[in-house]
Amino acid sequence: MASLTLASLAASSAAAAKPILVLCEDFDHAAAWAAQGLRRRGVEVDIVCGTDLAAAPQLEHRVGRAGATIEIALASGRRLSSRTVGGVLNRLSFLPSAWMQRIGGPDRDYAVQEMYALYVSWLNSLPGPLFNPPAPQGLCGNWRHPSAWAALAGRAGLPVACYRQTSDVDPTTLWPMPTTAPATLLVVGERVVGQAAGLRHLDDACRRLARAANVRLLGIDFAPGAQGWRFAGASVMPDLTRGGEPLVDALAQELAA
Amino acid sequence: MILLCGIPSESPLAMVAAALDELPADYRMVNQRKVADYDLAVAIDGGTVEGTLRLNGETFRLGEIDAAYIRLMDDRLLPELAGQGDGSPARRHARAFHDTLLRWLEVAPARVVNRCDPQGSNGSKPYQAQLIMQFGLRVPETLITNDPDAVLAFQREHGTLIYKSISGVRSIVQALTENDLARLDLIRWCPVQFQARVPGTDVRVHVVDDEVHATEIVSDTLDYRYARQSGGSAELRAFELDDDTAERCIALTRGLGLLFAGIDLKITPEGEVFCFEVNPCPAFSFYEANTGQPIARALARHLAGVN
Repeated sequence: MASLTLASLAASSAAAAKPILVLCEDFDHAAAWAAQGLRRRGVEVDIVCGTDLAAAPQLEHRVGRAGATIEIALASGRRLSSRTVGGVLNRLSFLPSAWMQRIGGPDRDYAVQEMYALYVSWLNSLPGPLFNPPAPQGLCGNWRHPSAWAALAGRAGLPVACYRQTSDVDPTTLWPMPTTAPATLLVVGERVVGQAAGLRHLDDACRRLARAANVRLLGIDFAPGAQGWRFAGASVMPDLTRGGEPLVDALAQELAA
Repeated sequence: MILLCGIPSESPLAMVAAALDELPADYRMVNQRKVADYDLAVAIDGGTVEGTLRLNGETFRLGEIDAAYIRLMDDRLLPELAGQGDGSPARRHARAFHDTLLRWLEVAPARVVNRCDPQGSNGSKPYQAQLIMQFGLRVPETLITNDPDAVLAFQREHGTLIYKSISGVRSIVQALTENDLARLDLIRWCPVQFQARVPGTDVRVHVVDDEVHATEIVSDTLDYRYARQSGGSAELRAFELDDDTAERCIALTRGLGLLFAGIDLKITPEGEVFCFEVNPCPAFSFYEANTGQPIARALARHLAGVN
């Protein structure tokens, strides 16, 4: 008897309703908060966490003439399928920590590279609005170095303090420590939200920065200085709660688009 | 001025240096083995990039540098640092210099062959395949799975299969044999990439900006890169690519944000063109040495801004 593969199962039961898929780590409170907010607005949301993905017994990712698809059977019996996804809030910056904790032995580095390469590809195959699409340098968007953000932000027209780097400085000290910025604007598609009234004249520059960074969801931090507010960093996986209810409104509208 | 970054004796770098000598064009070698004698300072201010580079007592403004060709090896493996502890001043300086160099080249207003970011797509073959398809080139039918039954169904659908790494880790392409099927359950531990085997002629296409050099490889092995090791042979000769495919290769290279690429094609007996991979840092010297195709000269002219 021919074996029953995930692809054949999914093809035979393609769901009419297409919920928004929220991909996140189990401890991502901002993702859970956004998912709740979307549900309150009547959006059907399907949350798949890192532990779900790490324990998935079956995965099929296909690329070819028919395009690219993903079918994942989760241990709970649920199924993640590119055929039944209406849009994605992607909050995975790296491989699920639950999977990373399970992997060991001499081939660990190879397995991590292989699995990362697979995640970049299957995430890219998800249909609908994707906040954010994966990049080889980060599963929810390119996790850029501060020097690259400084150059992009300056070219986008944001006020940026001069970034300096020399061959005398330990490069590991140049990555910023996670902190809560005094002010944050969040770009969601073409919308800019955030409780930073004195910065709203920078909305267009923020949109340009998100476009240049090839992402649809971007948190842009600002800090006050002697010459006024300046760009202090950007994140492709921002704290969504900083955008408040307007951010959920924007997400709901963009995901429905 | 042009920078050549890497180990001067490495074939591709040496061939480009010789081609620049022949042009002639002004260049300097950033010889990784002499990193102890180098310093670099970069300032990014309002979108502009400035700074200074000191090489062997000469100091240059970064704005003087119009182009760079990067063939860097892992600085941690430099022979000059062998025996040095992890935190030694020499290792710390080498790491800091290389990091600053790459950060600068990533944003420098110069012809950089190639920047790091656009090279990233090569780290995931199926991801890159999705990008390749956007430029009108076919890719082999591919299945990545941890399910042995799915592999068997895929094999029934497509016949002979090959398997290879998903990531940029180099692996020898292997045909899926009866012996492999006997251990297929092992894929439950880590998904594996399987592809329908595409018959035909292997063609490597080197694209330099809008210039194309195609090389046909006639080999009796599945992976011609390892023909000698596996007791087989590989014969290389210049190949005339049709205009449409050449244009697609140029568009694909540009679309990936690359100035130079090595594109692996297979042309079937029916004339269908499949694209397997885009190598963003191709060791073109192997192809030039075997065919005489002037790839280094094309690269040198591009770096020098000569049309």
